[in-house]
Amino acid sequence: MYKVVIGLEVHCELKTNSKNFSNAQNDYSETPNIYLDTVDLGFPGILPVVNKEAAKSALKVAMALNCETPDEIIFDRKNYFYPDLPKGYQITQAYKPMGINGYLMVNIDDEDIKVDIHDLHLEEDTASLDHFNDYSLVNYNRSGIPLIEIVTEPCLHSAKEAVAFLESLRSVILYCGVSDARSDLGQMRCDVNISLMKEDATEFGTKVEIKNINAFTKVKAALEYEIERQTELLNSGGTVIMETRRFDDEDMKTYSMRTKVDAVDYKYFLEPNMPPIKITEEFLTEIKSEIPMLQYERINLYIDQYGLSRYDATTLVKEKKIADYFEDTIKGGADPKLASNWITSIVLGHLNKYQVEIDQIYLTPDMLVSLIKMVNDGKVSSKQAKEVLYKVLQDEKDPVTIVKELGIKQIDNDEEIRAMVVEILDANLNLIEDYRNGRNVFDFFVGQVMKRTRGQANPALTAKIIKEEIEKR
Amino acid sequence: MITKEKLKNYAEKLMFNMNESEYETLMNEFDVIMEQMDLIGKIKDIEKVEPMTFPYNIYVNQLREDIAKDPLTTDEALQNAKEVKYNQVKVPKVVG
Amino acid sequence: MKQLDLTIEEIRKLLDSGQITSEDLIKDSLDKAHQYQEEYNSFVTILDDAKHEVKGNSVLNGIPYTLKDNISTKGILTTGSSNILSDYVPVYDATIVKKLKDSGAVLVGKTVLDELAMGGSGTTGHTGIVRNPWDKNRLIGGSSAGSAASVALGITPFSIGSDTGDSIRKPAAYGGVVGFKPTYGRISRYGVFAFASSLDNVGCITRSVKDAAYVTDILKGKDERDMTSLPNTDEVYADCLENDIKGKKLFYIKEACNLDNYKDVNDEELTATLNNFYEVIEKCREIGFIVEEVSIDRDLLNALYPAYMCISCAEATSNNANLTGILFGKRGVGNNVDDIIFDARTKGFSEFIKRRFVMGSFVLQKENQERLFLNAGRVRRMIVDKINELFKDYDGLIMPSSDSIAPIIGNKTEQLSDRYLILGNHLVIGNFGGFPSISIPSGFVNGLPVSVNITGRQFEDGLTLNMAYKIESVLGYKGQVAKGDK
Repeated sequence: MYKVVIGLEVHCELKTNSKNFSNAQNDYSETPNIYLDTVDLGFPGILPVVNKEAAKSALKVAMALNCETPDEIIFDRKNYFYPDLPKGYQITQAYKPMGINGYLMVNIDDEDIKVDIHDLHLEEDTASLDHFNDYSLVNYNRSGIPLIEIVTEPCLHSAKEAVAFLESLRSVILYCGVSDARSDLGQMRCDVNISLMKEDATEFGTKVEIKNINAFTKVKAALEYEIERQTELLNSGGTVIMETRRFDDEDMKTYSMRTKVDAVDYKYFLEPNMPPIKITEEFLTEIKSEIPMLQYERINLYIDQYGLSRYDATTLVKEKKIADYFEDTIKGGADPKLASNWITSIVLGHLNKYQVEIDQIYLTPDMLVSLIKMVNDGKVSSKQAKEVLYKVLQDEKDPVTIVKELGIKQIDNDEEIRAMVVEILDANLNLIEDYRNGRNVFDFFVGQVMKRTRGQANPALTAKIIKEEIEKR
Repeated sequence: MITKEKLKNYAEKLMFNMNESEYETLMNEFDVIMEQMDLIGKIKDIEKVEPMTFPYNIYVNQLREDIAKDPLTTDEALQNAKEVKYNQVKVPKVVG
Repeated sequence: MKQLDLTIEEIRKLLDSGQITSEDLIKDSLDKAHQYQEEYNSFVTILDDAKHEVKGNSVLNGIPYTLKDNISTKGILTTGSSNILSDYVPVYDATIVKKLKDSGAVLVGKTVLDELAMGGSGTTGHTGIVRNPWDKNRLIGGSSAGSAASVALGITPFSIGSDTGDSIRKPAAYGGVVGFKPTYGRISRYGVFAFASSLDNVGCITRSVKDAAYVTDILKGKDERDMTSLPNTDEVYADCLENDIKGKKLFYIKEACNLDNYKDVNDEELTATLNNFYEVIEKCREIGFIVEEVSIDRDLLNALYPAYMCISCAEATSNNANLTGILFGKRGVGNNVDDIIFDARTKGFSEFIKRRFVMGSFVLQKENQERLFLNAGRVRRMIVDKINELFKDYDGLIMPSSDSIAPIIGNKTEQLSDRYLILGNHLVIGNFGGFPSISIPSGFVNGLPVSVNITGRQFEDGLTLNMAYKIESVLGYKGQVAKGDK
């Protein structure tokens, strides 16, 4: 058996209004070459000017990933020739990235692992190439779109860990609100470095890089294939060569692109058109204040403070909007467990069924709070509340109105219920004996009351009376 | 050691070539400059100096506000391109 | 056609009093441009349909000018004097071109430069050698060669150039006219083809210091498109010129200027150039300047040229990597993308700049960066620190603009020889530290112009122009042209 060592380089496009170094629109379009500025086309005489929002976003994610941030923002040039790179260099950060030495806590199967982040830097995307039979076409819409690259240490040890990390990272980015991180649009894509070493070895094995994979499922497939390939290779006495491979999603295999014998020297040097930008404390504080509580912390909070199961907590934090919604109901005074139950069962089901977002539905957290209160106060039974909830979502009317419309009223009258209870107990004297002997027949009594009142008896009150009346005998 | 082969390799990485006599001239230039640079390396305490990139300390506080404006048209962008197809620049097939 | 020999200031008066019209000026200017083109080759493009369109009250309104052909002009061919860009028509105006348009100045021609501004001779442009209006067997110098020639020929009263090592000030000196580059960042570089971004300055060539002030007042200012552009100030340079300079202190560098340095060299022109310089110094003293000789570590001064080569070539090789012939410029031929880029660049660049690019690339290689590129940056700082330290005591540095008169075309330059290493290259100090620096004509040696250079403190463009103006007024070469109708 071999120990697997994986490092990831994740690229994510930022959703700013304009590009990283120009005023061209940052957007995706099917129409080629419409979001353009002189700067992103590399015309002679152009000068880059840093986008404030892009810088802020990069710092925000860096801080969310617990990175150390620099005292100033500087950029470097990475020099190479490629038809998708109009300037002949990419502006990136080689020497002083937006963040270094960070980490992200990732929970896998109820166990926490700490994934070390080497650095996060801000750079620009390239143009895109469309390939045809005997020619390629260059579209510059993507050229200059701000991109953050997050580089992990080689600290992941399985495809599962890698994917769990990617999912956690994606949630950090989404929670920070700096990107939609949609891999289907190429907004989030990743390079994978993988090597195998003997369990007792002290040095890493030879590293293979797999370039530019977007979907996480493909990352998983590529890693699994590569682990198998390298394992077989090593077992049969072969050696892994240092190379760059690509993943083919048709047959789910990786193929060699080039060996790294002739490594490219990118001749990095400081971008001379952009003077260092001082990062002030105020700037950092402002950005920090905009970072919300993240997924990992929320899950722990929901479990530890609100007593939710990990399953429910994880469901609630998948989307920040939903987690916020949940927290709003708690702030409104709802019982966390009840709120969680209502949201994960009915509300999320509704969102799923109608493909809507939680901020688009009629039911506000306040309404949910009021409904939960009605249940707590015994005004509405759980069963009734469920019906009300569906109605609120369907008919877009507030719960109080729905309750009225449904004619839901509770029997709160002590005497009325007590009379009923006495009758039921009298008819089931043998069960009282059973109850005293420890058999669980309490629910039977409650059920009888409900049956007689068609569910309108206040359940809490009913239970109380039953208990009292049994005690009396 | 600078060799003609090395220089050729650098030129090729810069995506051009030169003829033999041009490389000869370049070799001679290198000799002179490198000799002078060696002298620079011997200047006292030079290693303690922070390399200078900007002529003076330029302070930038204002970054560009994130506003999309003044786009070029597709025609403007492609006006100088020699081969255009479907409003994109056509090049021989690029193989990864 | 006499008006074109005049300064901006003088032409302004004639225009304002109605004695001449802008239309006449433009026509005369174009006529003259054509008349001298074959002999002196100042232009890549002469704009025969130039028109005065914007009317305003700027001092430049209605006055024709020329522009170095590495400055982007929308709809007008801009070649950088390189084959690879020989058909490039920009789709945008440089910020300074917009400013000049708004001021009402009229562009009549795009001038020849050394290919992509990398060179100092005016002989490497793709359309041929630019010749010196004072002697057509001689260079005008570069890289703003056509700009200097067009002003020295009396075609326009001013021209706009760029200066990375001495590219405005050297050709201005060889052409007997004024060349000024203000503080780095004073004028936006947006739209100026980058040679070495940390050293590139925009500036002007004129026939008087006052005109340089006028033009700079129009060009200066913060530009949103240039992060290195300086914030606006209230200072108007044209209003600084008459300020009293009594007691202002200038220094010159002993290691470059002292005649004893050249005892073994039997070079009459060098001696005459230095003698002219000392005459200028005397005159400066007569009008109240204090001028002193200062000694600077010779090792540092000898480092000027190699450090300049390392830094400028390194930045240039990267800045010009956009020239691939794919989106713009001459397309290469080949079966794959690499081949067409390779072909475009092999055919598109001349030998001279290919050598510079290889040098730059070598300097930036991982294994060489520390020893070459970064050491060059370290020397740059040491030199700039030294000059700034001297500027605590002195208001300016005064030097001969060049070691001699314009060389004869075809003669080997001796830029690298020890003798001239300092005197021939000290103008790069102005670019290393981004100092405002101006060359003004100071006389003649063997019938060819010589010049002195005044370099001031960073950001003190007003004072630098002020001192130059006062010196100019006692030298008597203001407003001269080589091909006057006088």
